[in-house]
This record gives sequence, C-alpha cells and structure tokens, in this order.
Amino acid sequence: MNRKGVHKTRRPRNQYNTTMASSDPNKLLSKADKLTRLSLTRWSADWKTATVLYEQAANGFRVSKNIEKAKTAYEKASQGQQMLSSPWDAAKHMESAAALAKELCNWREVADFYQKASELFMECGRPQPASDALAKGARALEDTMPEEAIQLYTDAITILEDDEKEQMSFDLYRAVTSVYIKLEKYTDAASSLLRLGLAADKCNATNSQTKAYLGAIIVYLYAHDFKQAEQCYNDCTQIDAFLKSDHSRCAGKFLSAYTDGDVDEIKKIAQSSAVSHLDHAIIRLARKLPTGDVSSLKAVTAEDDEEPLDENDLT
Amino acid sequence: MSVIDILFRVDEVCKKYDKYDIDKQREQNAYGDDAFARVYAVVDSTIQQALIKSEAAAKESNRAVAAAWNAEVRRAKGRLMDEVPKLRKLANKKAKGLTKEDIAIRQDLVLALPERIQAIPDGITSAASHTGGWAATSAHPHIKFDSPEGPVDSDYFSHSEESSQFRNEYEMRKLKQDEGLDIISEGLDTLKNLALDMNEELDRQVPLMDEIDSKVDRANSEVRNTNLRLKKTITEMRSSRNFCIDITLMCVLLGIIMWLYNALK
Repeated sequence: MNRKGVHKTRRPRNQYNTTMASSDPNKLLSKADKLTRLSLTRWSADWKTATVLYEQAANGFRVSKNIEKAKTAYEKASQGQQMLSSPWDAAKHMESAAALAKELCNWREVADFYQKASELFMECGRPQPASDALAKGARALEDTMPEEAIQLYTDAITILEDDEKEQMSFDLYRAVTSVYIKLEKYTDAASSLLRLGLAADKCNATNSQTKAYLGAIIVYLYAHDFKQAEQCYNDCTQIDAFLKSDHSRCAGKFLSAYTDGDVDEIKKIAQSSAVSHLDHAIIRLARKLPTGDVSSLKAVTAEDDEEPLDENDLT
Repeated sequence: MSVIDILFRVDEVCKKYDKYDIDKQREQNAYGDDAFARVYAVVDSTIQQALIKSEAAAKESNRAVAAAWNAEVRRAKGRLMDEVPKLRKLANKKAKGLTKEDIAIRQDLVLALPERIQAIPDGITSAASHTGGWAATSAHPHIKFDSPEGPVDSDYFSHSEESSQFRNEYEMRKLKQDEGLDIISEGLDTLKNLALDMNEELDRQVPLMDEIDSKVDRANSEVRNTNLRLKKTITEMRSSRNFCIDITLMCVLLGIIMWLYNALK
C-alpha cells in the first residue's frame, strides 16, 4: 500500500500523457543537445535522433505551458530539420516557434521567425504557405509594430503576385489599407487601394475593383484633398468597368456635392448602399465626411466658373 | 234630348254658377285680379318641382341621369331668378282689395324668393358662390346662357367633388407605393452586392479546387498502390493455407484452456 502511494505521488499528472521512455522534456532537451554538440568524443552531430528528441521536448514543454523552453525547442527542431534537408518540416516548426513567441510578446523574434518560415516555404516551392506565414506575422504585429507589419504584408503580396495568385492578395491589400488608415497615412492608404484595383483588374474581379476605386476617392476626400480626389476620379473613369458601375456614380455624386458645398447631400450619399458595402474602415471614414470646410471649396469653384463666362463675352 | 245636348246644357249651367265655385274663383281671382299672385303661384310651383327633381337627382345612382336632372334644376332656377324682378315690380303695385299689410307681406315674400331659389340643391355644394355668380349672370335679362352651357358646366362641376376625392386617394396611394418601392430597392441593392461578392469568392476558390482535385488524385493512386503492395506482402507471408492452420490451432488451444478451467473449478 505504501509503495503504491509513493508511486502515485512520484509522477506528476501532466507527464502521464508523454509516451517516451524518460518523460521529462528537460531531460530530452539536454540529451538532444548532447547529441548535437560536437566534442572530442563526438565527431559528427546525430541530427536525426536529435531532431526527434527536440520535437518531443517541444511538445512536452507546450503541454506543460513552459512557453520559453518550448520556443527554444521548436527552434532547435527546425534547425535539425533543415540539416536533414526537409524544409517543409523546418518551416512548420518555425511557425510554431513564432506563434509561441507571439504569446511571449517578443515581437522582434516573431517577425524574424515568421520571415524565416516563409523563406523555408519558398525553398519548398510553395509560395502560398509562405505568404500565409508572412500574413500571420503581420497580423500579430499590427498593433505593436505597424511599419514592420506593413513591410511583411507587402512582402506577402509580392510573393502572391509573382505566383500570379492575385485573388488571394485582396485580403492582404485590405489589411494594409486598414493599417495605413490607423496610422493616418491617407495617401499611402489610397495608393494601396489603387494597387488593389490593379490586381483586381488582372483577374477581372470588377466588383472589388470598383469598390477599391470608390474607397480611394473617399480616402482622398477624408484627407480633404479635393484636387487629388478629382484627379483620381478622372483617372479611374478611364477604366471601362469603373465607368459603368454604381460606384462611379456614387463617386461623381460625392464630388458634385463637394463642389456645391452641400453637407446634407454628402451625409445622404454616405448612407447609400454603394458606400455601405465597402470595407468597414472606409465606411467609418465616409460617415465622418465632410472633414473641414466645404464651403471654401464651393467659393473656389464658383470663381473658376465665372472666368469662362467672361471669355465668352469677349469673343 | 241627346247626350250632346245634355253636355251643352251642363256647360252653360256650370258657366252660370262658376262664380259660386270657390276654388275656381280663387284661381280666377288670382289670375284675374292679381298678376302678382298668379306669377307668384307659378314660381312657387316651379320651385316645388325643382326641389323634387333635385332630391331625385341626389338619390339617383346613374351619374349621367343625375347630371341631366341637375342641369334641368339649374335651368329652372335660372328662369325663376328671371321672374324675381318682375315679381318685385308687381309686389309694389297697388291692387284692388289689398291692404298695406298685404303689400308688405308680398314684398317680403319676393325678397325671400331668391334665397329659396338658391337653396334648391342642384349638385353643387362647395361652389355655391360660383352658382351664385352664374345665377346672377343668368339673372341679367339680356344675357341668357341656358341650354348650351348648362350641361357642360354641370358635368364639370358635378365631377369636381368626387374627382377631388379620387385625386386625394390617388396621391396617397402613389406615395405609399413609392415608399414600398424604396424599401424594395434597398433590399435589392443589398442582394446585388452580396451576390457580386459571392461571385468573386467563388471565382477565387475555383483554382484552389482544381489544385485539391489534382492532389487528391495523386494521393488516391498512391494509396491504391500501397494497398496492392500490402496485399502482395501479406499473401507472401501468410498464404490462406497457413491462415487456416493458425485458426485451427488457436481453437484447439482455447478448447484445452476451457477444459482445464472446468477441471480446476
């Protein structure tokens, strides 16, 4: 009886699930380290067993919620897989390591790990998971390191476009736009929307394209840059698909309401259905229109209108 | 004596004793003595007839018939209004056997006449001033707009109250329809946007499905190959003969164990 009781207390609960011989991840880790460290007795590292041990150790640490150690174990496992020239597994381990780093709020490491994972995926010749990894990293970093996040997003988009999978890049473009809007960099946001329009054009996704252009015009109006907005509108109407759509009519109404200086009209257009189906960040901007003084724009345009009349009189 | 003779004699006798016939005397007196009374009696009877006709017209369901009767009523009213100035003149005339009070009464009666004539309903309730105007103009002796204008005006006016009601109803129904159509158009807009988004999403998924298709085909063929090899290996290692031997031996073993168990129990 006594023996049984002692036997029970000796084994901690969480290690019931481990199926290895010695059920302590630390022990596994040290064993694996010993296998890989080169010394006088060991001339070549035994990566095969070491990798297996690293993986087991990492699982054990994750179960016991020892995140720091789990992360290091995953790193080492990934390294081992690389040595064994299986980049897919290496990349997968890197991703897990990055996810754990995110929990630890170690942002620099998160960025590095995800980038490494994406490189490994590219080595496998799989651009999709590569861009997915970068996108995950960017999403994790959106709040804390937005510039870094934008960089990661842009890289992810480039990977996809190189692989001619523009369809997948729409979500990434929208994420970039929302980050720019949060940073209040409106020209950048508008330009990313225009790039979205270009990508949509390549895969004939006219609805997304027209929505992107309308969104860009709204962003310009929100930044109170009326000339840019008008220019953007003129450029976009060159495109057939946009010209024929509801969104271009809505944009035209916006611009004419601005030139008339009619605040109620602007608010009414912002409530219309064409605007309500855009991205929510853009809807929020549209509802806050008009920013600044609309009547000043009206005065400027009124002056412009008088001059042509005078010319007519002269002739 | 023949019948004709009797008739002639009766006529003569009646003529002789006519002066004793009270009703006839009254009538004749009215006719003979007093132009005012005569004219007034005629006017009165006309007014009564007009009233009856207008009541019938109000009850009439056939609009055309009602309009025609109203027109006649109006014509009668016009003629009566013509008579009024004549009566006024006659009322002022001093007649034999009439006291000053009688004359005053007659003047009052004449004054009351126009009101009575106007009060005859002829299908126009709201535009009383118009009819007053028309009646006034038709009261001028030298302007007589009677038959040609009458029915046209009456048709026009008799439709106005009902047509204004219709117009109101029409406007209200149109507004309600507009509201409903607005709601429908909003819903359709939402549906359109949803449908376009779904369209794009499906377009996006088509190449993914193609990839899945090819990958699954590859996996399928690999699994089939593996199965074949496994089958081959198993048959090499254990042919069916050996399998039967295994089973029989196991049954024998079980039997021995059961016998031992029974023996030991």
